[in-house]
Formats: sequence, structure tokens, C-alpha cells
Amino acid sequence: MTTNPVLQITHLQKKFGHFQALKDITFDVHPGEVFGFIGPNGAGKSTTIRVLLGIIRASGGSASIFGQNVWHDSVKIHQRLAYVPGDVYLWPNLTGGEIIDLLLKMNGTDHTEKTDELIKRFGLDPTKKARTYSKGNRQKVALIAAFSQDADFYIFDEPTSGLDPLNERIFQEAVLDLKARGKAVLLSSHILSEVERMCDRIGIIREGQIIETGSLAEMRHLTRTMITVTLGDDFDVTTLAGVHGVTAGHQPQEWQFAVEDAQLKAVMATLAQHDIVALQSTPPTLEDLFMHYYTGKE
Amino acid sequence: MSRYGRTGQLVRLNLRRDRFRILMWILILAALMASVAWKFEGIYGTPTEINAIKGTLASPGIVAMFGAFSFSGKVTTAEIFANEMLLFMGLIQVVMNLALSVHATRAEEDLGITELVRAHAVGTLAPLSAAAIELVLVNGLLGLLYGAGLTAANMPGATIQGNWLIGIGLAAAGLLFGMLGLLTAQVADHSSSATGLAYTLFGLSYLAQMVTDVQHPKLTWWSPLGWVEKLAPYNNPTWLPVWLSLGLALILLAIAFWANSHRDLGVGAITTRPGRKQASVFLRGPISLIWRRQRNVLIGWLVGIIIFGAAYGTVFNTIGDILKTNPTMQQVFGATMVHEANHSILVSFTALLAVVMAAVAVIPGMQLILKLHTDETRGWLEALYARPLSRTRLLFSYVGTAFVTSTLAYIGGLAGIVVMGDASLTHVKDGISASEFWQAAAAQLPEIWVFLALSVLLVGCWPRLKSLSWAYLALGFVSVYMGSLLKLPGWVKNLTPAGWMPRVPIHDVNWTTFSWMVSLALVLILIGWMGYRRRDLHMS
Repeated sequence: MTTNPVLQITHLQKKFGHFQALKDITFDVHPGEVFGFIGPNGAGKSTTIRVLLGIIRASGGSASIFGQNVWHDSVKIHQRLAYVPGDVYLWPNLTGGEIIDLLLKMNGTDHTEKTDELIKRFGLDPTKKARTYSKGNRQKVALIAAFSQDADFYIFDEPTSGLDPLNERIFQEAVLDLKARGKAVLLSSHILSEVERMCDRIGIIREGQIIETGSLAEMRHLTRTMITVTLGDDFDVTTLAGVHGVTAGHQPQEWQFAVEDAQLKAVMATLAQHDIVALQSTPPTLEDLFMHYYTGKE
Repeated sequence: MSRYGRTGQLVRLNLRRDRFRILMWILILAALMASVAWKFEGIYGTPTEINAIKGTLASPGIVAMFGAFSFSGKVTTAEIFANEMLLFMGLIQVVMNLALSVHATRAEEDLGITELVRAHAVGTLAPLSAAAIELVLVNGLLGLLYGAGLTAANMPGATIQGNWLIGIGLAAAGLLFGMLGLLTAQVADHSSSATGLAYTLFGLSYLAQMVTDVQHPKLTWWSPLGWVEKLAPYNNPTWLPVWLSLGLALILLAIAFWANSHRDLGVGAITTRPGRKQASVFLRGPISLIWRRQRNVLIGWLVGIIIFGAAYGTVFNTIGDILKTNPTMQQVFGATMVHEANHSILVSFTALLAVVMAAVAVIPGMQLILKLHTDETRGWLEALYARPLSRTRLLFSYVGTAFVTSTLAYIGGLAGIVVMGDASLTHVKDGISASEFWQAAAAQLPEIWVFLALSVLLVGCWPRLKSLSWAYLALGFVSVYMGSLLKLPGWVKNLTPAGWMPRVPIHDVNWTTFSWMVSLALVLILIGWMGYRRRDLHMS
């Protein structure tokens, strides 16, 4: 990539007393890119994001947004940044409409037609007091405020956990629109299908460490492809090298197994000699990858 | 499953949930009552001491704050004790009951805990019954401790009946306001509204009691809070107030049950109305946000404190006219002397009330400063931190609003006393002059600012210790409010800023003290500000 990264994190660390919440976090996010940040609960996703926002101070390493230090220059950075927290807490006696406008004004922007359109699309009633909103509606308030802002970098921390599938789709469309307009997006999420669909690159965090970054395609090479094959003869698939978890299928001479990517070529060549009737190959899903990294199994 | 099913289990759960809260309240209240009783013979043991304080207790300022009690015949130590302590302890116990009752009902409902509980095989009225039983247990235990503690202290003039009348009488009064809290929790649809409603009724009851005490003590029967005074435990033990309190408590509870069984979970008779679709042009930054969120509370404080001031002021013409009690004085001393005497009574009355007003005026400001940390932990500030808004600006938005609020509240309260008081006088020149008013204002403001600055320091550097600011304010209040009546040693008064400035307008403002108190406040704020800029913020 030739452009300067919007976000640059190098060997970031954070200690809370004796507990090392972040051990070694390194990744970049570039303009026009959606970066997926995934990991289980307590792995350090939200801690990383809070360091990026200047809410907590890093104990080691460095992090910069737009080339500026996240702790010292937070006010300057925040002029061009939009953020949606994972748990949205709103002032209970203000209405949703008031909160959206207030958040926009504090960034020096105003309520525009786009804001009205977003309120309509997400189906939010802006006249209700925040006290009466459900979790999903609170998230909508934060999302509408973020999307109506014209920022250069957007941070979403598990933004769709309370949304219904329709609103989830509206969210995804809006993120893809940001991407098309050359904005940078950091999306932390548990919903792996969402990350798979939207993210250009992915970072996987475990126990305060980034253990893998790259595109989904690059990561797939590190794992195995699932194959379902029906053969014309009674060849025993278990004799092949680099094949795992072989099970017999529903039909006679149908097999299901996983192949290490390095052995794929040799396995396919052997199968071709045994009169393939049907063949289905499934690339590993992000979920498979996730399980692979976390449990060491496929 | 009956409508009260599993109430017992819920009571145990409530007691477990609130155990620290309850323990703290009971320990503080029982220890306060017992230790004062224990010490009392040493303070007012001899007839000379008793006669000296008897005069003080009859003075209008003290009557307004501690209640009117009639003495007859030979006054004993125990009678003085009852006069000084009953209303004071009653007020604290009411605050405890309002906090516990709303916390156990509407606050749980707001958090969604009641929903979780009711989804199990639990009666529809069980949560409310459990809260009521919890209050009965807490107040009952306190009553027992009071009775036993007073009996153990064995003050001269104390009787067994009187001791237990105090215990049971205060328990009944506390319970009455606890039930009021349970009722407002059913009527309002969220906990802060329920608390506000309950405190409004409590305030009215206090106001009625105070005004009637000074002017027509017989009318004090019309205020439920006034019943505490009518116990007269050691000179004329009366059980009627106990029955009245318990009867009214039962009626309130019955209405609360009726309201609870006629409503859906999460709603109340006073509902949250929809609001603006878009923000007003004024809502655009942290200060306007604080105002938008807290305006009802802040206006309530300001109006409330001015009304209290004015209510104290209405007694000026009763107390500021010696001729009413002593008509022959003018013939003996001449008009000038009488006016001077009237003036000096009013000056000392105002100086005493100024101390109380200052302590009360600190409360809304302190709440605002501590709110900066509460908002932080509740995640309400996360959305703000992600904006181009520096911590310095955020901190000073809260702190600035707090200082302005407390300052205005104090000046407003004092103005209420003086303006209303002077207006009620037939001879205005006896009253408080404008320069005396501003002297009194200037004398207490540094104290208010130091208390607030201490909270800024705690929130900035050691937010976990923030409740210490309440304890410190309470210490300051008790040391000046009760200090002279309990004859506390001088160093106790000097522990807090409340005791650093000489009483004004009796004395002049000491500008040296004024300057170094203001400097101290500034230094504390500065350290708090530096700490706030450096520390990690805590999110839920």
C-alpha cells in the first residue's frame, strides 16, 4: 500500500497493576480499508480501542492515528474520528434526537438531511427518552450519530450485537459505503459472518497478543480445505497423505475429509485417477479459522 | 402461588444485597445516639449547666433547628438530651429510609433486576413486601439499639419508659418515611423521580414543622415529622405519636400495594413523556449537557434553599422584638438600647443559620463533582471522550457548574433569610443590613469552595475514595451544628473548613483566613486537575 496508514500500532502494551491486559499489539489500518478485529471476550479488543481513544494510557509501545499520538493529541484526532462503543450508555433523561444532535455538535457538525435519512432507515423514534430505549435502539442512536459525521476514521466496537438482521444489513451497507468513499474503518466484532463479508483484512487477538493479521485469503492458506467427494471406485481415502478427519458420507463411496493446503495438489491428482462422480470443496470459514487459532483444532 | 409467594426468600436476598449499607447506617446512628447519651452527664450534669443551656434551647434559632420542647419544673440532663437529639436523629433516619426504600424497589426495577426476579415463581407483590419487611427489620433493630443504648447510658432523669419511647418513636417515624418512599417508588416511573418526589414531601413536612415550632408549637401536630418532638420522652411521655406514625405508615403501605397491583412492571402513574425530536440550539457542549440533564435537580435545590431561607426569615419579627416578651424593657433602657438588642439577636440568629446554609449549599455542588466519576464508570462519558473534547474542558465543565451552583445556593439561601426576615420586621433598621449580608456571604464561601475542591482532588487523583468527601462534609456539619451544644473541644471544629472562619456577622470577616482558604481551594483543584489528566478512565 502506498498511502500512509490512518492507524499505526506497534508493540502496544497495557498493564493494569500486575495484570498484563495487552502484551503485544501490532497492526495498521489504511484509508479505504475495513479492518476486522476479532477475538474472544477478554482478549483485549476493547482495551486496545480505549488506548486508541486516549481514555487509558499505554504502558509500552506506540499507537498513532493520522500520524498523531493517541494520548497527547487525542483532541485533534477526535475531530476526524467517529466511534461507536460496544455498550452504549445514554443520558437517561435526554431523547435520542437530542443526543444525536449533541454528539454531532460536539464535533462541529450539524443535523443534516443525512441524519434524518439515517433515523428513518434505522427506524428510530427520536422523541423517546433514552431511559426507555432497548439495547438495539441505544446502539442505533450511536450508529446514526457516527454515520452522519464526516470523519476519516471510524471505530466500531461490536456495533451490531443488539440489532435485528434488517438493521444489521443497513449497518453493513453503510460501512461498505464508507469504504467506497475511501474512509478507514476498524470493526471489532464477534459476528464472524459479518467480518467475513465486509473486512479486507483481519487481525486476530488472543490473550493480549495479535496472533495473526492478513486478508482472509491469506489466512486460509494456513489451514485446511473441506472436501466432499463421491468416487466411481472403492478407493480408500484414508490412505492419502495430508488428509484429516475422514468420515464416510451418506452415499456409498462418498467421503468427507479435510486437506492441508500444502497437500491439496497431490490429493486432487490422486483422486482424479479414481473416477470422480461429484466433488465439493469448501474453503474454511472464518469460524473454522477462529476455532483453529483458539483451540488448535479445526 | 400466592401474590406474596417467596417473600421470605426475597427478604433474605435484600438483606444480603444491602448488608454493608444497612450495617453502616445502623452503626453510625446507634453509635451516635449511644455515645452522645454516654457523654451527656459530663456535659450537662449540674443544675447550673442545665439552666445555662435551657435558655439557649429556648432561643428561636435553636428552636428552628432542633424543635420546640416545653420544659416544666426541674429540668434533667435527659430532657436536655431529648431536646437536642430527637429531631436531629429523626432527620438522619428519614434520609436512611428514603434511600433504602427507593433503592430496594424502583431502582431494582430500573436495572431490570425485578424483571429477572419476577420471571421466577415469585408472587407479584413479593418484591414490594420484601422491601417493606426489610425496612421494618432495619428500623426495628435501630429502635432496639437506641432503647438498649440509652438504658445502658443511664442519664440522670432518664426513665425506662422514656428510653424505649425514643427507640420506638424514632423507629416508627423512620418507618413512616420508608413507607412514603415505597409509595413514591410505585407512583413515579424511575428511581430519581421517586426520590425527588419523596424528598419534596419530606421537605414540606420539615418546613411545616419548623415554621409551626417557632410560631405555634401546637400546630406542629400537623407535620408527621413534628410527631417526633411530641414524644416528650422524659417530661411527659406520649405514645400517641407512635400510633399516629404507625397508622399512617400502614395507610401509605396499603396504597403502595394497591398501586403496585394495578400497574405493569416498569411503568408508573407519573410517566416519562416523549421529548424533543431535535436538540435545542443551546444544547451544544458539556456545560449545556450538564444543565440539560440536571436542570430539574439544580433548580430544585436553588428554589428549595431559597424557600428554606425565607421560612427561617419569617421568624425575624417573632424573635427580633424583645418587647414582645419583655414589654417593660423600653421604659427601663430606652428605645435605642432596645433596637440594638433586637439587632444583636437577629445577627446571632443569622450567623448560626449561615453555617447550616453553607453546609447544605455544598451538597448539590459536591454531587455534581462526584457525578463526573459516576458518569465515567457508568459509561455515559465514553461518547464524550471520543469527541474532540479535552479532559481539562470536561473536568472544568463539571467543576465550574458545581462551584456556581453551590455559590448561588448559599447566597440564595442567605438572601432568603435576610430579605424575608427584614421584610417581616416592623422596624426595619433592627434587621440585617446589606453590608452585614455580604460579610456573611463572604465568610462562608471559602469554606464551601474548600469542601468542593477536596472533591475535585479525590475525583481527579483517587476516585475510589470519593465518598470520603461526604464523610468530611458530615463531620464539618456535625462539628459546627452540634459542636457548641455538645461542648466538643476546639480542635474538633478545626478539623474541617467549616470551623476555620469566625462566625460572621457577629465578628468581621478575617481576610487573611479568607485568602489562604481560597488559595488552598485553588491548590486542591490544581492537583486534582493534574491527576485527572494523567489517570486512566474507568469504563464499565
